[in-house]
Amino acid sequence: MLKILIPTVMLIPTIWFTPKKWLWPSTLTHSLVIALFTLTWLTWPSETAWSNLNGLMATDPLSTPLLILTCWLLPLMILASQNHTTNDPINRQRMYISLLTSLQLFLILAFSATELIMFYIMFEATLIPTLLIITRWGNQTERLNAGTYFLFYTLAGSLPLLVALLMLQNKTGSLSMLTLQHSNPLNLIMLGDKLWWMGCLMAFLVKMPLYGVHLWLPKAHVEAPIAGSMILAAVLLKLGGYGMMRLMNILEPLSKQLSYPFMILALWGIIMTGLICLRQNDLKSLIAYSSVSHMGLVTTGILIQTPWGFTGALVLMIAHGLTSSALFCLANTNYERTHSRTMVLARGLQMVLPLMAMWWFTASLANMALPPLPNLMGELMIISSLFNWSPWTLTLTGLGTLITAAYSLYLFLTTQRGPLTNHLLHMEPSHSREHLIMTLHLIPLTLLIFKPELLWGWIF
Amino acid sequence: MTYLMFLLLMGLIFGLIAVASNPSPYFAALGLVVVAGMGCGVMVSFGGPFLSLVLFLIYLGGMLVVFAYSAALAAEPYPESWGNWSVAVYGALYLMGVILVLFYFYGGWYESSWVPVDELSGLSMFRGDMSGVALMYSSGGWVLVISAWVLLLTLFVVLELTRGLSRGTLRVV
Amino acid sequence: MNPYIMSIFLLGLGLGTTITFMSSHWLLAWMGLEINTLAIIPLMAQHHHPRSVEASTKYFLTQATAAAMILFASSTNAWITGQWDINELSHPMSSTIMMLGLALKIGLAPLHTWLPEVLQGLDLTTGLIMSTWQKLAPFSLLMQMNLNNSVMITMAIMSTMIGGWGGLNQTQLRKILAYSSIAHIGWMILVLQFSPSLTLITLMIYIFMTLSIFCLFKMNKTTSINSLAMSWSKSPTITALSPLILLSLGGLPPLTGFGPKWMILSELTKQDLNMIATITALSALLSLYFYLRLSYAMTLTLSPNTTPITNQWRFNTKQPTIHLSISTMLSLMLLPLLPGIMTIIN
Repeated sequence: MLKILIPTVMLIPTIWFTPKKWLWPSTLTHSLVIALFTLTWLTWPSETAWSNLNGLMATDPLSTPLLILTCWLLPLMILASQNHTTNDPINRQRMYISLLTSLQLFLILAFSATELIMFYIMFEATLIPTLLIITRWGNQTERLNAGTYFLFYTLAGSLPLLVALLMLQNKTGSLSMLTLQHSNPLNLIMLGDKLWWMGCLMAFLVKMPLYGVHLWLPKAHVEAPIAGSMILAAVLLKLGGYGMMRLMNILEPLSKQLSYPFMILALWGIIMTGLICLRQNDLKSLIAYSSVSHMGLVTTGILIQTPWGFTGALVLMIAHGLTSSALFCLANTNYERTHSRTMVLARGLQMVLPLMAMWWFTASLANMALPPLPNLMGELMIISSLFNWSPWTLTLTGLGTLITAAYSLYLFLTTQRGPLTNHLLHMEPSHSREHLIMTLHLIPLTLLIFKPELLWGWIF
Repeated sequence: MTYLMFLLLMGLIFGLIAVASNPSPYFAALGLVVVAGMGCGVMVSFGGPFLSLVLFLIYLGGMLVVFAYSAALAAEPYPESWGNWSVAVYGALYLMGVILVLFYFYGGWYESSWVPVDELSGLSMFRGDMSGVALMYSSGGWVLVISAWVLLLTLFVVLELTRGLSRGTLRVV
Repeated sequence: MNPYIMSIFLLGLGLGTTITFMSSHWLLAWMGLEINTLAIIPLMAQHHHPRSVEASTKYFLTQATAAAMILFASSTNAWITGQWDINELSHPMSSTIMMLGLALKIGLAPLHTWLPEVLQGLDLTTGLIMSTWQKLAPFSLLMQMNLNNSVMITMAIMSTMIGGWGGLNQTQLRKILAYSSIAHIGWMILVLQFSPSLTLITLMIYIFMTLSIFCLFKMNKTTSINSLAMSWSKSPTITALSPLILLSLGGLPPLTGFGPKWMILSELTKQDLNMIATITALSALLSLYFYLRLSYAMTLTLSPNTTPITNQWRFNTKQPTIHLSISTMLSLMLLPLLPGIMTIIN
């Protein structure tokens, strides 16, 4: 673990001591090397699936894909924010990259922690850098509101989680993920135990976000700068799914009955947020609501607790992480040229940015789960395991898939096809930097088609 | 002697009500004197004539200052005494409060504690307050030093708060 | 103020607290508290401003009331049980009155209303003394007493909530800090009867954080949120760190302020007070809101300034900043060292 953690920490002196000219290239290279080295985690030799063990941290097939995604996202974020920060003073640019790096540090510690309290602390520790990124580098005054929503929704969910974890520790004597599933089953019958169940899951459901407690997410996405949106959609939401998967096996006897309301909310949320996407005119807001819709599917997959459900959830999380991050990057290339997120004002861009239209097409197809992509594998596994749980869910999930296809088409058609608006005639051409970002997003997604068992988790 | 004690405690309560019911400063100072006198009387009955004498002298000195202050600085053309409505209402309220508390605590340890200790003084070898003073000078010497220091500190505090014609704190407001 | 006089008052301030620390007799403890109160009053009123005079009068009255309650409780206890020892305060009525008196002294919730008013009338240095040093003596007494459970828990929860609610609509920094102090004291009192050493750690960490935030405001010469918005032009580095200090006061991990909250919640769950732990944890969100608002005003938005103002940071400040830097580091990075501190203090 230290071979990744120490270079990540040493990124911060690199950021502050490199000359101005080499700031962006050297941090990019450094973080890309770190990301490549994380690929060595992809072997799991031991029978128990835990590898790279040390006193506090370990990796297993559930956390490894998320860890690699985290490390992969840092160079992409650095690449994506290079343009919009050029007008900032140099120290502010350094501060910005330092915050992104600290976020990576906390996320690695969160995903690789073997102690639930350590996971909790790092889960919370990601809040501060994200909050600073959203509220300091966002573009409009509403960013303060968005930051408040972000912080308070998450904390209101996660402070009961802290109490719940401490109670669990008093009951079982240990919070180690390595041994927790082997501890004696808890005797959960009282009303307080049901509240405890809620406390254990609510933080993650807010973070996912579940429909009903999702209002912070579109606000945060819309107001955040590009790097904030990327990391939020790609990794921070997945913290919720990861935490739920880790906690589900100790909540066992209660989840059967108590998960119904959350299943209903999640399934209904797939439809509702899809419908919201269909009549959205704000580009980033549309992508944010589509995230809520996909995460609803992940939530249901985790809550029914079947091997296929878990695998599907993990696959969908990784695939959605790459896809939504790519879509946010595309939205940002539009925003940097038109300075508006309104879709009507930036339509018909295929005429001026033809190569970007190809990327828009690919990313929209990935978002609506085109057959060979991992997105489809994740959705199919979740939908079929839900069908096995109750056939009637197929109406909701099928309708959800249809709506997803519809709004992906709407997204693509509105931004790319049709006549160009008159005020957009003088536009910069697309940079090779932007093409590089898109390539780096979509290459892993494509390569995963050929070896999907990397994402299947510890079930298979 | 128990009746005397009863009277002294009643006087203490009425004196406190007289101060607390917010009359003009003259009358409030009178109430304070009553409270001081009654308190010293209680202390005498509980076996501390020396201490209560010291205390009473100090109180008298303080009360003279208060009288002088209220006569010189806070004189009002129409002073409010306990006959006025607002003061009387306050006084009645406090009296009610005292009576309520009395009902609450009646029957507890307050009843027996009215018996003055001094009735039993024939049984003991020496008087409590005398030996107390002796103890204060012998083994409590450090406490005495600290008390002297506190008096000095208080002097400084008062001087600092009131010194100067224009800068004196208490004169600004 | 004349430095000799000043030194006498500061000496008195130290002496009072020390006497209370070392006493095992209620009379001596009461005496220490009174010396403490007397010595700080001229410091509070040293600027001869009507507000500070008002503040020192209010402070004097509340502290005198509290001291009278303490004296009454201890002498009643001595009357009933014949014991003057601090550990032997056993009669329920006198221990409750003592608890209320000490609560009035430190500004615990239903008896807190004097604290914001008084702190608002002081300059920042005296305010710092008021919200740190003046809490030590009453806490040293509280930690030695046998206390009444339900009264204390009720007051503690009320305190965390009122501390959060009260600060929400304030625009004056000193009032906000006063409410923050009320909320933190609620946390300390909540765990007092289960683990006094934890109270001590919480108090210590609260003092570090308050020290750094008061020094920060003093360096920027800010007393309201509006003037806070101008502070980014004075010292960029400390402005960048200030939201972290504020969020540490609010108790966000991985900053120092999370440590005491974590330990307190852990202790409460060990005592099966799960609902109380949850309520208290959630009430921390109320305070977090105004800390967040302060950091919005200070760092996360750039208010427009005239050009000469932005040159200020190029000049070195003449005030010593070593205490600011040390306390800032302590209030940001102490969380990993917390187990060590727990071992030392236990």
